[in-house]
Amino acid sequence: MTAEAHAAPPELAPSKRRGAWRRLAETPIGLAGAIALLGLALMALLAPWIAPYDPLAQTSLSFEPISAKHILGSDELGRDIFSRILFGLRLSLLTAVSTSLLAAIAGIAIGLVAGYFGGWLDGLAMRLMDVILSVPAILLAIVLVAIMGGGLVPLIIAIAIVAVPTFARLTRASVLTIKEREFVAAQRAAGASMPDIVLRTILPNSLGPAVVQLVITASTAVLTESGLNFLGLGVAPPNASLGSMLAAGNENLFVSPIYPVIVGFAIAILVAAFDAFGVGLQRAYGTTVSRGGVLA
Amino acid sequence: MILSYLVRRLGQLALVLFIGSVAVWIMIYAVPGSPELAIAGPDATAEQLAAVRERLGLDRPLPVQYLSWVGGVLTGDLGSSLASGKAVTELLGQRIPATFQLIVFAVVIGLVIALPAGVFAAWRPRSLTARAAGIYQVVLLAFPSFWLGIILIWLFGLHFRVLPTMSNYVPFMADPVGAFRNTLLPALTLGLFMAAVLVRFVRSAVSEELAKPHIRAVRAKGASEGNILINHALRNAALPIVTIVGLQLGAFIGGAVVTESVFNYPGIGRLVFVAVSTRDYPVVQGVLMFVVFSFAVINMAVDVIYAALDPRIKVN
Repeated sequence: MTAEAHAAPPELAPSKRRGAWRRLAETPIGLAGAIALLGLALMALLAPWIAPYDPLAQTSLSFEPISAKHILGSDELGRDIFSRILFGLRLSLLTAVSTSLLAAIAGIAIGLVAGYFGGWLDGLAMRLMDVILSVPAILLAIVLVAIMGGGLVPLIIAIAIVAVPTFARLTRASVLTIKEREFVAAQRAAGASMPDIVLRTILPNSLGPAVVQLVITASTAVLTESGLNFLGLGVAPPNASLGSMLAAGNENLFVSPIYPVIVGFAIAILVAAFDAFGVGLQRAYGTTVSRGGVLA
Repeated sequence: MILSYLVRRLGQLALVLFIGSVAVWIMIYAVPGSPELAIAGPDATAEQLAAVRERLGLDRPLPVQYLSWVGGVLTGDLGSSLASGKAVTELLGQRIPATFQLIVFAVVIGLVIALPAGVFAAWRPRSLTARAAGIYQVVLLAFPSFWLGIILIWLFGLHFRVLPTMSNYVPFMADPVGAFRNTLLPALTLGLFMAAVLVRFVRSAVSEELAKPHIRAVRAKGASEGNILINHALRNAALPIVTIVGLQLGAFIGGAVVTESVFNYPGIGRLVFVAVSTRDYPVVQGVLMFVVFSFAVINMAVDVIYAALDPRIKVN
């Protein structure tokens, strides 16, 4: 199940938007999320330098317990779990950021066109979004990745496609209310061209809910990505991904039950950081978009 | 009024199914290379490729191909599996009962947890239970839903050794105990997940009702708190809850792929995943069409029931 978004009528004048970041800093949970995300992003970026071992190198026997040598133990091939988690985190963050940006760009464009022009274009676009939403996200992503041949780029594109409808619906809902507002009518009366009105007036004023949705999408993307990598549809082994580490943990559950627990917590920390940041943004923007569960 | 709403909703359903069928059908052409190459494999000879083309009717014009496929779909013929030669409808027929049983177990578990927890949290928002429900929801939804399955397998399958680590489909009617033992862990995985999604909706729907004046009136008349909660608040909050349960149910059809894989449970999601891995396109197309159809129908049914039951909803 993807994020369930409830579009709130956006009431964001440009001046109010500027204060959003400051208000975010004033919500403790949002601030905690932002700091955690910053820390995780730094760990991911600096992974090659801070990882104690090469994530692909066999450095000891398999499933060594937690020790000073391997702070989270070693995996089924004797590789350092902590180093692999750092690199898996890198992949998850890359996926989260690129999928949510891709989905936002496509979804906002569709929502803008559908909402502004209306008519059959709107009907067709929204029914297409309905179709995407009528297949469980993980299932659609699996089929799309398989069609594109597997690997990181197909993985990112597939998760992005699944997330497009929410952005399209949110943006469309915003555009529908904003295009009736007086300042748009005033612009039209002043002789502003259609692209000018759409891109300079309606678009910036419709972005509020989409910004919050961006963070929600990032957190669902991490969960979906872990599911796809669990099934072996993402990055090829021996590269580290949190999902494929969970799969390895699942296969070796009898030998080392702690392994999937550790990886699960790594995923949950990343997701919770995005969620907390998202809650802070929601309070700052005064919108009510909330994340549903990610069924996989 | 409700009839005109139903008609309009049916029109929307038809459009969604039409676009869905085109999208599902066109998928095979989006495969890198050509579909016959994907099916016959890279080492296929020209004759083999031609044979595949002919068998699948790929040599005919595109609209004709689509019409013949969709005609089959409409008459209940989803084609046959490239791997086993069995009819896709037959494969689906084997998986639907397994998925249905899993969903029923999961929904029961989800409701048994989420209803009391949600109602109580709405009734006493500052209580420990309410806080625990909030934490449960936030924490559980931060983990991948299938992760819980791995933990449950370890706990009940390997540590306590009370339940099997792999779940077969045992029909409940044939062997209730066996069905229970085999379905419990995957159903618990999905049910605990569902409860996490549901508890927030139950809580907000019930607390919205509790804030309404009619509740104060009933309370003033001396009704017991239990009576107020169950008969007045929960009953009036039932519609939004039913909606969410309906949508969750739809998502479980084919959406529990990874959970089914963790338990090796023969559900619909697993069928698609295996078909995808073996490039069995007729199965992928047929099952996806079934998933789109069931979800769209459930969605519409929920909307229509909602509109029919609640006269306050303006259907226009």
